[in-house]
Amino acid sequence: MTDPDLCAALLPVVGVVPVLAPFALVLVLGVASLVGVRPSEAAINALVRAAMLVGFGASVGVFALMQAGGSRHVVLDAGAWVVVPDYVFDVKFVYDRLSTAMLLLSYLLCGIVGKFASRYMHREGGYNRFFTLYALFVLGMVTASLAGTIETLFSGWELVGLSSALLVAFFHERPAPSVNALRVWVVYRVSDAALLLAAVVMHHRASRGDFDQLLSAQPWPEGVCNVPQVDALVIGGLLILAAAGKSALVPFSGWLPRAMEGPTPSSAVFYGAMSVHLGAYLLLRVAPLIECSPVLTGVVIALGLTTAVFAALAARVQTDIKSALSFASLTQVGLIVAEIGVGWDYFALTHLIGHACLRTLQFVRAPSLLRDYRDLENNLGGALPAPDGPASPLSRALYRLAIDRGFLDTALNTYVVSPVVRALQACDRLELRTTAAVNGPSSPRTVEVE
Amino acid sequence: MADRADAHPETAPPPGPTSAQSLRRVIDHAAHLLPAQGPITVFIHHNTLHAFEDQAFDAGVQHGGAVFGCKPYLTEETYRDKLRLGRIRPADVREVLQHDLGARAGERVLGFGTRLHLRAGMMESPLRIGPPAELAWFMAETDALTRLRRDATPAGRRLPGETRRWVLRDLVTGPVPEVLRPAFARLGGVGRVPRWSDADWEAFALESIWRVAVRGAKLAPLPVTPAARLLRPRDRVLAAGGPDADAGVNEVLTRFTAAYLDQGVSRWPLPEREHGFLAAFTALYTGTPGLLDAWAAALPAELNRLRGVAPTDIVARELHLLDLPEADWAAFLEATFLALRGWGGMVQQVEVRADSVAHAITKGSLDEFLAVRLVLDRVAAESLAARLGPGGLDALPAVAAPAPALTPEQRAALVFQLAQVLGWSPEALHALTADQWATLYAELAAFPSLQRRRVFHAAFERQFRVQTLDALALHGGHANGTPTSPRFQLICCLDEREESFRRHVEEIAPDAETFGAAGFYSVAMYYKGAADAHYVPLCPVVIKPGHYVCERVATAFEASSSARAGRRRVWGRVAHTMHTLSRTAVVGAAISSVLGALASIPLTMRIMTPRTTSRLRTRVGTVLRSPPQTVLSLERQADPPAKEAAHLGFTVAEMTAFGRRLLEDVGLTKTFAPFVVVLGHGSNSQNNPHKSAYDCGACGGSGGGPNARVLAAILNDPRVRENLHATGITVPAATWFVGGFHNTCNDTVTVLDGDLVPGGAKPAFDAVLAVVDQAARRNAHERTRRFLSAPLNQSFDAAKRHVEERSEDLGQTRPECGHASNAICVVGRRERTRGLYLDRRAFLTSYDPTQDPTGAVLTRIMGAVVPVCGGINLEYYFSYVDSPGYGSGSKLPHNVTSLLGVMDGAASDLRTGLPWQMVEIHDPVRLMIVLETTTAIARAMIYDNPNIGGLILKGWVQVAVLDIDGPGMHLFQDGEFVPYHVEAAELPRARSSTDWYRGSRENLPFAEIDA
Repeated sequence: MTDPDLCAALLPVVGVVPVLAPFALVLVLGVASLVGVRPSEAAINALVRAAMLVGFGASVGVFALMQAGGSRHVVLDAGAWVVVPDYVFDVKFVYDRLSTAMLLLSYLLCGIVGKFASRYMHREGGYNRFFTLYALFVLGMVTASLAGTIETLFSGWELVGLSSALLVAFFHERPAPSVNALRVWVVYRVSDAALLLAAVVMHHRASRGDFDQLLSAQPWPEGVCNVPQVDALVIGGLLILAAAGKSALVPFSGWLPRAMEGPTPSSAVFYGAMSVHLGAYLLLRVAPLIECSPVLTGVVIALGLTTAVFAALAARVQTDIKSALSFASLTQVGLIVAEIGVGWDYFALTHLIGHACLRTLQFVRAPSLLRDYRDLENNLGGALPAPDGPASPLSRALYRLAIDRGFLDTALNTYVVSPVVRALQACDRLELRTTAAVNGPSSPRTVEVE
Repeated sequence: MADRADAHPETAPPPGPTSAQSLRRVIDHAAHLLPAQGPITVFIHHNTLHAFEDQAFDAGVQHGGAVFGCKPYLTEETYRDKLRLGRIRPADVREVLQHDLGARAGERVLGFGTRLHLRAGMMESPLRIGPPAELAWFMAETDALTRLRRDATPAGRRLPGETRRWVLRDLVTGPVPEVLRPAFARLGGVGRVPRWSDADWEAFALESIWRVAVRGAKLAPLPVTPAARLLRPRDRVLAAGGPDADAGVNEVLTRFTAAYLDQGVSRWPLPEREHGFLAAFTALYTGTPGLLDAWAAALPAELNRLRGVAPTDIVARELHLLDLPEADWAAFLEATFLALRGWGGMVQQVEVRADSVAHAITKGSLDEFLAVRLVLDRVAAESLAARLGPGGLDALPAVAAPAPALTPEQRAALVFQLAQVLGWSPEALHALTADQWATLYAELAAFPSLQRRRVFHAAFERQFRVQTLDALALHGGHANGTPTSPRFQLICCLDEREESFRRHVEEIAPDAETFGAAGFYSVAMYYKGAADAHYVPLCPVVIKPGHYVCERVATAFEASSSARAGRRRVWGRVAHTMHTLSRTAVVGAAISSVLGALASIPLTMRIMTPRTTSRLRTRVGTVLRSPPQTVLSLERQADPPAKEAAHLGFTVAEMTAFGRRLLEDVGLTKTFAPFVVVLGHGSNSQNNPHKSAYDCGACGGSGGGPNARVLAAILNDPRVRENLHATGITVPAATWFVGGFHNTCNDTVTVLDGDLVPGGAKPAFDAVLAVVDQAARRNAHERTRRFLSAPLNQSFDAAKRHVEERSEDLGQTRPECGHASNAICVVGRRERTRGLYLDRRAFLTSYDPTQDPTGAVLTRIMGAVVPVCGGINLEYYFSYVDSPGYGSGSKLPHNVTSLLGVMDGAASDLRTGLPWQMVEIHDPVRLMIVLETTTAIARAMIYDNPNIGGLILKGWVQVAVLDIDGPGMHLFQDGEFVPYHVEAAELPRARSSTDWYRGSRENLPFAEIDA
């Protein structure tokens, strides 16, 4: 057996481990919670450490095997789970330059943050809950990174969304985290719906959801667009909408600072490093599709740049460290998205990885802000130079725009949420009137939905 | 909305001069309630309920609790746990009840024993009253009516037998009372009585008590509770079923106030900030285009209308618009302030203490904050009320719907439970008349949960007080192994964390003597280190320093120093640039795409191996840090003291006064050892916004190393010694003072100016340092017993490594336990406490009463001790008793904001007080100050000095006196010293501290250490 053959034989075996490790962790921690067993902190730590080390080790192994075997595109097919006429639901994992990089990054950052959290969350009532959600998040991240079909991607995408929203609401004994988590959740649902619609359209056109189908079986990023222009536009548009919700691009940016309700490590890994990049990752995955349509390219660039400009502006006026960092993150995510639009795929990937590492470090050190400022002043030998305030009417208008976070939340509330709620209330009234007319006067209901 | 707003007059009818004055008074009074915590970088511990100090402790905490919506004491459940664990003894409860009731204790309540007996019964077992539905379920679906409660007393257990006699004697023969018929019916009727089993009798007894009690409750009148007034418009909207107007208002106000107060997080300051809160707010919301939430639509028009109106006039106008009578102003403004108390308090602090911040704000900011809040409140409430129906806000009721009265079943549940504890038979209950039922229910209502908690708390404190005073009387009755000619003397801060450190030093070196003093060591100064940017005050917050001291690099190192300072500046610029620009678009992109991946290296290292990484950083940092050889600018050349070179430092006379004062305070005036080591202290930890709260409280929340160093330098000065000699304190030429710094987090002691020790004495001095180093290791070991993550059986060295790692760990939320568990303050000679294991719970202040016949020294010591130690103790009390209310809750979601404080998560009120992780192991008891003096001196001191006596007379701290030459003690109670009688016969003994604490993580009893 030659070396490449050996590699090819080993790859499917090693390749499933990065997915199975977090899956096993979710099962153990989740089932324990379900049957009412509360594992000790030490037990949880040992499990998390084992799962992350095994997963990370296997990811490095896959990388090494691919290098040794010279393969750039490895597909692990877990088979078709649903086969009905004109509909096939495949579970497929793909290792290529993009997914392997994202996988290693996920394991590295999640692993480090897991270690950080094992001490940070010490004696916290929700220790077990935190790590169950953490495991769910890692599983979602890994699944989404390696997904070879849009359904596989969607399952990972959902797990990431669910665990993120529940972690925002981690301190559910106070109202603010629950309110903000609900907001995050609603934006995620919009984005999920777009992704789901994209999947439906893909199936409608090609009966399966493989990215290969869409982008030909070339290794990333050399794929070419395999579908007619109109389909590309529809699918691409929906995917961009999905990515915009997940990566907090304009006009969905309002949820990102609100997501800082959870404990510091979850803010760090979710919104500084991983999940905020997931939208950008989706766009990278379908980059060939975007490149083939000038309209899509234009939309992606415009969306990225608008977000970057807005977030850079907002970051200037934030007065708390977590909001400042979250808008700073958003600035870079916007630029990464714009880079994808321009077609600098490798640069965008490098930017994404570098940014995730840098921001994780900054988030994890966020409570050191006061000390950092003192050290800075001491090193500079005096007070920090006071910046100038905005003086011209234009810059004041920009200040207002920045401090009110682009009025994005207000606009969404006023122009989307309120009309929808009013329409639903009108439907409710109509239904009540109709049923009342049909049933005659009985059981008056006066519940108003606000 | 708009037309309603137009209907408002431009201003209120001009307030008359008296009304304007009284408004001023009311605003100031309401503002007095705001938290007095300043910027978090300078954390000063203080009484959280400072606004209620003029009331007695219990009245104050109950009143404060009602105003702030916080708990005054722990829950009954917690106290009952302590009762179970023996942390409260039944005897303590009885003593407190007896003292509480006085002559009324022995009065009989109906036929049910004395009032003392009744109240003790009410405290013994939990009395639960659920909502009506839950109670109905409980009575119907559980065995409540068939089996006696598990914790029924022997008297309760006798009930079935007593009921049986009653039934057989009176009921089977005569007519069955109406109320008991269902009880008989359930068990098969009167005819089956002879065949009833024991279980049937038990069930019948319970059922009849329940039915009789319910009937009684229907006979007894209900107490009337007045309906709550809805003063704030927001309360009216909320009570009418509308949304909470504060949600939107607080969001706007939080964001704006944070921007207004910001000390440098944002790179774009708020426009018009220099013109004040109101002007900046008006400029932002009227001068620029933007979208507003629906509830705030009327805001710009309203602000435009108020242009040029003075803030207090706006307040007056709002009061007028709401039609509030003057009598309600105070309560209304208090409630308005408290809706965002943390931010309001910070506006007040930054306004008043403009010297303590980099970017000051204008005077009157707090009034403007209030004015803006009132306008926002009304705008929001009017808009939300308009959605609730026609008529808007004016149509909403101003009085809350009365809370549903207790149902007869709910009231009866109390009697039902008590009957099983106190053995109230159905017969006795059945015999009660309507008036007697009224008496019984009134008696129960007079001792509600709040009062039971008060008594529990007093009992808890009593148990601890007895333990403390017994230990001090039994141990402190004689001198304990004080060396006559000590090898060295050690002066530490009076901080309770140094208690264990001193104890270990004495255990290792029985020929050493230790002292405690407020850690600024009577040297009050503004200090600037060689590598520092600013002068910081190093003294208790009640003192304003009059002197400046600056650290310079020694001449020989000047060249290298300026090179390093240059490198530091370059590094500072690079770091600053990275810090700010990594958050911008373009440069941020360059940094993150090119260098970003490199960030994973420090990230991995600092989280995986904090201790090693920190050592590595220290080694690399050597090229930047200022050289270790520095000198202090101690001697002033020109008057007055100021920051300029010639004006730094002190005159020789001032130095003498400082030195003399400290030596007199601690009573070190005769027997000087060859070495006197003076240690300041502070705490080093990572990722800890509350770091300053762990530092030396007597140094205004900074490290006290410089004070120790200055004091040592002063006392080594031959001219100072000459002056001291002239006033009767002779320091031998062979005595050398050395300053140092004790890091209480990683238990490292750094000696300052150690190389000035005369060459010949070096070996002896090194031996002293070895003792100190070993003591630090043992101290680390004693501390780690409190950390669950540290094994209990590790060695001293492993414990030291553990605390070093803790202090460098980014993920560590409990770098050390801070002042948690502090409870005692002893002011007296160390020989009274030496060899006594006080479990790091006692502030130890050295004071020699034999050298202070008039009490003058005691009074000046207490002037610092009461505010500093009392403040620490009370802050811990409140932050523990109600962590989310008085404290700042869990540290995990904290978010540093404006460089002034922390918020919870994305945006919230500024969180004041201590985080839960800091107070977790605290025991909330009031500080017990034990003075070694005479009752006459103590009494005079308390009554003649309001700044000392205030807290003592009102009971916020407790005081006892230990006789100067014997074990006698007096406790200060109700304004007088009364003799204290020791309860224990002897104290437990152990061979060493380690032998005593080993294997335990809990608070320990005080013990005598033989070593």
